[in-house]
Amino acid sequence: MLVPLTIGLLAVSAVLALIAGHHLVRRKVVDDLLIVVSAVIEVGLLATLVVGLARSGAITDGGERATFIAYLFTVLLVLPVTILIAIKERGQWAMGIMVSGALVVMILLGRLQQVWSPYA
Amino acid sequence: MPDGATEPSDSTNPSSSTDRTDGTGQHTGRGPGRLLVAVYGLLALAATGRSILQISEYYSRAPVSYLLSALAALIYLVATIGLARGDRASVRLARVALSIELVGVLVVGAISYAVPDAFPDKTVWSHFGSGYGYVPLLLPVLGLWWIRHTRSA
Repeated sequence: MLVPLTIGLLAVSAVLALIAGHHLVRRKVVDDLLIVVSAVIEVGLLATLVVGLARSGAITDGGERATFIAYLFTVLLVLPVTILIAIKERGQWAMGIMVSGALVVMILLGRLQQVWSPYA
Repeated sequence: MPDGATEPSDSTNPSSSTDRTDGTGQHTGRGPGRLLVAVYGLLALAATGRSILQISEYYSRAPVSYLLSALAALIYLVATIGLARGDRASVRLARVALSIELVGVLVVGAISYAVPDAFPDKTVWSHFGSGYGYVPLLLPVLGLWWIRHTRSA
């Protein structure tokens, strides 16, 4: 996988978690900033999907390859679903959900790298 | 956040300034419950995905583990839907599912340490859910507490 892209995505996801944490403390709701940062992450994840699919043939174990491809698609869905839930929840917990969503993206990116690394 | 006493719909919830209330009669799928449902949904997805893969790709390697994974996935799905719906019957169903989960993760976790050969491949519940950051151990406890919290009138 593209290590610089993954590191960049981890960094932006961490920023998203920090902004959401800040909003949580300030009791703000989902705003443009959160959506723009999430959109940036989504674009990066799309690139990851394309690169990942193109290179997935290198993973020789069928089960591992299936896992890898499943993660590639799942990670794309996390933030849109997170934002939808956070918009529906008009309370302080909305930002708790955003923080969790950002962390889940980071965990999934880590898992992708973990599955990929033996075949790199 | 909705204080839940009158089960307001989201659109009528006037402000976000109300902090935690006593939570009596609160919907299990609102406020912190929404986070719980989201995490449950994610775990259900992960467990289902893994068990489909395990059963379709290498079932013969560890049938017991894989059937257990599938059972766990099913229970997570039931719990997710039950908590998200939040009506009386759904919550009762969710409570049963969560209890089975708690017993499952404790029993399977203990067995996997005592008799490692019994579980040659990982399941959601083996080693008390260490493969999933102990989330499978923590979630049923949180979920049962949350149901208790929302139901205590």
